[in-house]
Amino acid sequence: MLEMLSSAQFWVDVLKIIIIDLLLSGDNAVVIALACRNLPEAQRKKGIMYGVIGAIGLRVVLTFFAVNLLSLPYLKVVGAFLLLWIGIKLILPDEEVHSEGGIKAVSHLWGAVKTIILADLVMSLDNVIGVAGAAHGNAMLLIFGLLVSIPLIAWSSQLVLKLIDHFPFVIYVGGALLGYVAGEMFVSEALFKAIFVKQPVLFELLPFVGAVLVLMIGKWLGKGKVNTKDVVDLVDEKISATTREK
Amino acid sequence: MKILIPVDGSENADRAVDYVIAFAEQLKAKPEIFLLNVQWKLALGNVKLFINQETVNEYYREQGSEALAKARKKLDAVGFDYVYHISVGSPADAISRFSEDHQIDQIIMSARGQETLTNLLLGSVASKVVQLSRIPVLLMN
Repeated sequence: MLEMLSSAQFWVDVLKIIIIDLLLSGDNAVVIALACRNLPEAQRKKGIMYGVIGAIGLRVVLTFFAVNLLSLPYLKVVGAFLLLWIGIKLILPDEEVHSEGGIKAVSHLWGAVKTIILADLVMSLDNVIGVAGAAHGNAMLLIFGLLVSIPLIAWSSQLVLKLIDHFPFVIYVGGALLGYVAGEMFVSEALFKAIFVKQPVLFELLPFVGAVLVLMIGKWLGKGKVNTKDVVDLVDEKISATTREK
Repeated sequence: MKILIPVDGSENADRAVDYVIAFAEQLKAKPEIFLLNVQWKLALGNVKLFINQETVNEYYREQGSEALAKARKKLDAVGFDYVYHISVGSPADAISRFSEDHQIDQIIMSARGQETLTNLLLGSVASKVVQLSRIPVLLMN
């Protein structure tokens, strides 16, 4: 184990996992806070607590599921393509959806917890596949990835937004990284072993192809889209002597 | 003269309000005062699948009103007219855009705002406003 700590590859993997966790975790904290908003004061703390515990539990279960699934034939290819897509989605500007959908914040505890768990199920998937890919079967890395993501589930939110606001390229680094990990996952698929042994250069090449693919497709798909980094106005009110008297 | 005071609810930010109140007495005409609070756009992508926009907006409104409360009280106490405003987005972008849209003459704000760890590490909103803004920005220390 100590040998592992002194290898450069290990620390590169650690860095990869931290970046993936950072960029693919923040949403959970937001959903937990918003879903519990309409609860009465006393239940809100409980709701947040159950939500956080549920989300962490789910994250652990999903991670081990993902790792086991990825050891089955063909599923690494599926995982690689999913990762490519997750990377592309990360770069794409966020589209303003004016759907009436979405769940209205409910005012009872179990409703809120249900929303949180359901949202976690969907939102943790990105993170879990990313971390499982970057850990490539190394149990220690996997647990490390989980440990890093847990505080992010509970708090985070503004940290990542501020980071991206100051350094917009972080998004592209993250997207390229996910593409790279997708490439690594693809070449580690056991079924292709025969091919890759004959062409060892592909081992080195495909991760970079993945990174470039994500950046290119992301740029291309994002072209016509309006960047909702734009500002939205919410409240605008004038206070003068006359309005104050009311 | 139109003065924009961006506030985030911190004491640092509110000191800019005190300054403007004192400063206003030296002006010939009463300045038009604009208070602005910007909420980070937290609900992105997946969040919107699970939480409806109404709830999200309510949250922004509540947080924004809270951040504006002390600054408003100060202006109410001296009987100044003002406009207050809550925007959602990246604070520095929102502040510079608001100043353009409302033809603000001067931005007066705290150089520090909330003293959180991330602000210390990443730099303050004020420094980015200075970069983006085309009108004079007065920073309070």
